[in-house]
Amino acid sequence: MWQREKKPVVGIFGFSGCAGDQLAILHMEDSTIDFFTSADIKFFHMAQSHQEVPKVDVAVVEGSINTERQLKELKEIREMADVVVALGTCACYGGIQYLGEDVETFKERMEYVYGKSGEVPEFLDLVGQPRPAQPISEYIDVDIMIPGCPISAENFVPIYTKLISGLLPQKYPMPVCVECKYEGNDCFLLHGKYCLGPVTAAGCNATCPSIDISCIGCFGTYEGANYPSMIDKLKEIGLSEEEVIRKLKLFGGNKVEQALKGD
Amino acid sequence: MSKEKFPEFVELIKNKGKLFGPVKQKEKYSYEEIKDYSELDFDFQRTIISPKKFITPAKYTTLRFVKFGQTEVLPDDEPQIVMGVHPCDIHAIKILDRLFLGNIKDPYYAKRRENLIIIGHSCLPDDKCVCQSTGTDMVEDGFDLFLTELDDFYLLWVGSDKGLGIAIEAENLLEENVSEEEIQEYVRWQQERSSMFTTSIPSYKYLADIIHLNYDSEVWEQFGEKCLSCGTCSLVCPTCNCFHVDDKIMMNAEEGIRERMLDSCTLPYYSMVAGNHDFRPDRTARLKLYYTHKLKEYIGRWGQPSCVGCGRCIAYCPVDINVITVSNALFEEVCETQEVCDQ
Repeated sequence: MWQREKKPVVGIFGFSGCAGDQLAILHMEDSTIDFFTSADIKFFHMAQSHQEVPKVDVAVVEGSINTERQLKELKEIREMADVVVALGTCACYGGIQYLGEDVETFKERMEYVYGKSGEVPEFLDLVGQPRPAQPISEYIDVDIMIPGCPISAENFVPIYTKLISGLLPQKYPMPVCVECKYEGNDCFLLHGKYCLGPVTAAGCNATCPSIDISCIGCFGTYEGANYPSMIDKLKEIGLSEEEVIRKLKLFGGNKVEQALKGD
Repeated sequence: MSKEKFPEFVELIKNKGKLFGPVKQKEKYSYEEIKDYSELDFDFQRTIISPKKFITPAKYTTLRFVKFGQTEVLPDDEPQIVMGVHPCDIHAIKILDRLFLGNIKDPYYAKRRENLIIIGHSCLPDDKCVCQSTGTDMVEDGFDLFLTELDDFYLLWVGSDKGLGIAIEAENLLEENVSEEEIQEYVRWQQERSSMFTTSIPSYKYLADIIHLNYDSEVWEQFGEKCLSCGTCSLVCPTCNCFHVDDKIMMNAEEGIRERMLDSCTLPYYSMVAGNHDFRPDRTARLKLYYTHKLKEYIGRWGQPSCVGCGRCIAYCPVDINVITVSNALFEEVCETQEVCDQ
């Protein structure tokens, strides 16, 4: 017997991001009905009107934390959930917004984007004081990470279904290269073209390399990534160190930051 | 068999099952399904993925389960024929056979292997081929048919009953008598081919000892620092066969499948066991495992190393860690002087 007696209660929460990961769940059209019947979805930020939830078995959290109010809400989610899942690259590693982690106040942010005329609209008061973008793991314990920008259904479903069946998903990190070789693709790095496959977590079935596009690392960091060697390799191909680091940080967020500081 | 008869010969084989053969796509070669003779291209040294994909595919389902029951999923019965398999890859399949069809038979492998017809093809080496060092440049068995391509004709070697059956069926296309000149041409071709090898693995005969003596060498650290842990070496290697098993539950949480997928010992959690104990948490240890297992430990267990000199690691490792660079570095480490190394 591998399913719980009662359907587990699930909440899907969203913070800062494009909401593409929640959309990816709704887009699994063949299994949408199964998704809403296999568990008791008590809260789904994108699909339902706001409801009060006192407790969930599994909390799936999308997006990065950018304001004081989000931080407070995130901590409440951790309090009421047995298992917390970080959904998508923003929640796992901070996402693209992590690149602007040093621009702190709303005023600075508005001016950075719109120049001196960038005024802070009043409604922003509603969301509370700003914070530099951070992944949710910066503030709370995260049990499972499902990266992706957006997540892929094939990667999400097996992990999610194990959680709602009361099982622990296997943690087995692989880089994109493994899936790329499953597809029998040639290697960009060998032809003098950049590719972030060796430092990027698998889960996408090597979608881009399979259609002849280099991996830009949207699934975030691969746990076994060897950054110093990867940087050397990309420099050998002709990229400057600055370019390499920018490319790595685009989706690698806090993990790349930590790795680069450590070495 | 004269070359003009070859398309007809391919047509005949195509009736035996699903035909696969070497196809050129951009700069790479791969074994793909052949619908028409013209798709075949035998002018190649190596495909990225070896013919192991026909017997231990990258990813496949072994079991379907529901809440209270399960059914095993065995490969289907349709015969698969693969053409253009080079001697090194045939040797690799022989190594895999010994492993998967030994005392404990792997049912998935056995079924696929039983339904596979291997038609070998002669080849000429490039600077990455080291099969002469590993003694796998020639092959006497392990194939059903083998074609040696000479100037105007093919020599067809029969390696199994299945192969003999095809040869008998193709009787009209074949010439039974091989003339004296044709034998001469074959011998000349073999001699020429042997002289074309430019790369060799140093001290291959006692490489296992060199590895043993160098077990704690710093050389491993240097390679460990460079290794990207990307797993490419294992996936392209024709003898690497480690796999990972995972159960996947469908969205309805009522049914699921068990999948088997190729794995690599260079990946971070490869040596993780129950209780989260990891024997090889660092890259150096994992890379050392890869090479000591392949070139040394395999000899003790199976009587020969599991490198067939196909040159795939040399061609496809993005950071130049391969059987040549590793054995060179280890050999240099034990050489007292450069003169000894050069000998």
